[in-house]
Amino acid sequence: MDELRKSYHHDLDHARTELALLAARVVEIIPRATAVLLDGDLESADLLIRGDAEIDAHSVEVEEHCVQILALQAPVASDLRVVLALLKMIAEIERSADLAANICKASRRIYGHDLDPKLRGIIARMGEQAGSIFAAAIEAFQENDAAKAAALDDMDAYLDALQKQFVAAIFESQAAGRIDLQVAVQLAMVARFYERIGDHGVNMGERVLYIVTGKVPDHSKPKRAKIELDDNLEAVPVVGEAEDS
Amino acid sequence: MNDHLTSMTNDSTSVPNPSVKEQNPMSADAAGATQPPYVFSTTDVAVYYGDFRAVRDVNLQIRQHEITAFIGPSGCGKSTVLRCFNRMNDLIQSARVEGSVEYHGVDLYDPQVNAVEVRRRIGMVFQKANPFPKSIYDNVAYGPKLSGVKKKSDLDDIVERSLKRAALWDEVKDRLKASGLGLSGGQQQRLCIARAVAVDPEVLLMDEPCSALDPIATARIEDLMQEIKDEYTIVIVTHNMQQAARVSDRVAFFTTEVNTESDRRTGVLVEYDETGKIFSTPGDDRTEAYVTGRFG
Repeated sequence: MDELRKSYHHDLDHARTELALLAARVVEIIPRATAVLLDGDLESADLLIRGDAEIDAHSVEVEEHCVQILALQAPVASDLRVVLALLKMIAEIERSADLAANICKASRRIYGHDLDPKLRGIIARMGEQAGSIFAAAIEAFQENDAAKAAALDDMDAYLDALQKQFVAAIFESQAAGRIDLQVAVQLAMVARFYERIGDHGVNMGERVLYIVTGKVPDHSKPKRAKIELDDNLEAVPVVGEAEDS
Repeated sequence: MNDHLTSMTNDSTSVPNPSVKEQNPMSADAAGATQPPYVFSTTDVAVYYGDFRAVRDVNLQIRQHEITAFIGPSGCGKSTVLRCFNRMNDLIQSARVEGSVEYHGVDLYDPQVNAVEVRRRIGMVFQKANPFPKSIYDNVAYGPKLSGVKKKSDLDDIVERSLKRAALWDEVKDRLKASGLGLSGGQQQRLCIARAVAVDPEVLLMDEPCSALDPIATARIEDLMQEIKDEYTIVIVTHNMQQAARVSDRVAFFTTEVNTESDRRTGVLVEYDETGKIFSTPGDDRTEAYVTGRFG
């Protein structure tokens, strides 16, 4: 049998590509935001903060494209799930880009303050992990890979553990007088920004699962098992302890 | 009713009164009282035209006071299956129905069942509006007259009630003596619905009732279906998937299978589920391909 409604399907594929490109921008800016933070590069910080407006504008374009498809083509079944997922994922991506811009803004506020090697080490790891989660989410989306999407939750558990470790390191550093309170507060917020980027990546994975399986995310189920980190920041699972919902 | 139908009248047992259906085990859903009872239940139904098998292995239940839509490409057997529900296939010489079609647990194809009585209880509306070349009034009063209503005032009541139910009364009440053929296409179709409901059927079978109508007339018929579904059980065949999505509670998707030896096509029931499920997360890849327009 022949494929019908080719131009509509082409249009839908195009919207998917637009979203993937938008997400790729976020994957690209996360390491740059981390570099800004670690190197105190204020010029790059301004560039990234200004670039966020461009991502916002693109987000609106993709959203309008989705609205056009809904209005003109009345998509159903997997096509409908794709458009609905795109609309949700746009928000996740746009918000993640905002968070990367927030990291740059925090960099300005702590400019001129030295961070000790432990703090710098964990920041680098948080940046890598947030970027990996986002990259994996977009790969899962492009490949319609439910298994990869489902694995995002575990990747995010590691990022959460890093954040916890980082907050402990901030207290330690501040108590030892290596950083002042103002810097400590900014760093705690930065940790939160990375952690939130990870959460948005996980949400994107849930939308990929929705596209592939039709299952709406169930947030009532018990959360994942906790993990802790050893001295090398390697994950150590906590046996027999799961967070309640 | 046309001459074909009246010629099939016999005096044997008619189907039981719908009012006793609650006692029928077929009508009670095992899951509890929340599910409406089944009006029709088909088991392994196959329809042949001569030695050509038009559709095979149809197993489905039609629930009371629901709108069930049959969708699928041409030649998939959806109209053929619809016509099994009021034995319209009897009128085609070469047609033969295998398997069982039960109406409230009674085998519709039992030789003792009176086909005319079946068609009184199970009315039909066709693709092309086909009013009799008579007045609007006579079109609606025709069936009740045949079934023995003689008193003018009773007929007046039935005509008014039926035309109101078909959402046509306000448009024609001042010209009931005018010919039914003088109405617009959409009005003619509603007249046919009024004619069908005049004999107080339990089920309305609709075979592409809107395919010759413009969007406004179509919307009127669709609204009408929603308004009357509390009183009737409706089964509709439609080529318009959006119509199935808009009006129906449940959708049966049929498709054709090509027999590699004979190169002939046979219709099969692929999937039967709630409409929301069929159009959001269909369970079968063939349904998915059809509703998204990926294959036709």
